[in-house]
Amino acid sequence: MPGVTLVLHLLLSSPQGRATAMDQLVGFGLVAFSLLLFVYYTIWIIILPFIDSDHGIHKFFLPREYSVTIPVIAGLLLVLFVGVFIVIVMWKNRKPAKKSD
Amino acid sequence: MTKLVQWLCGLALLGTAWATLALDPLGLHLPLPCQQVLWPFPVYLLVAFGCYSLATIGYRLATFNDCEAAARSFRSRSERGLVQPLRRTGQVTHGAGCTSGAGTPW
Repeated sequence: MPGVTLVLHLLLSSPQGRATAMDQLVGFGLVAFSLLLFVYYTIWIIILPFIDSDHGIHKFFLPREYSVTIPVIAGLLLVLFVGVFIVIVMWKNRKPAKKSD
Repeated sequence: MTKLVQWLCGLALLGTAWATLALDPLGLHLPLPCQQVLWPFPVYLLVAFGCYSLATIGYRLATFNDCEAAARSFRSRSERGLVQPLRRTGQVTHGAGCTSGAGTPW
């Protein structure tokens, strides 16, 4: 498969100038996860409406309402975490008020 | 026209097209599967963009060219005070470098 060949080529080529093994593992793991998520979501949104409702494939997918609510909630959680992170960093870096004599 | 205005115009165009087809003000009465695909379409585009971003970050992380030998050499030379600051020419004098791989296109 071309994907496997590409991964092997990247892992075995040029001993100097390569990412560390952990970086490669995490990196390709991210690629695989996002690919899986994209394929699942595409089938859910685009393909399923054109398949008869008594087909067996529908039992692998949640009811259609969740296809909107889950990304919206995930997006809100992401914004929440980013906001909390910013608050924490700014709180740590605040300068102490000068004491007046 | 700035890039921001261009992007906003593009988004407004896509949004108008989506609203025209989904809210059906013209009474087109698309078939039911097409309507079911159309309603979550903006969310689908957002999720697809998120997946693309995640995959790009992961791929760049996995193919980043660390030069461990050069990093060690540079660190030891700088600890010994042998690394000179950047001159006007912008060249840093240090020992072994490594051939950087294909430059990142963006």
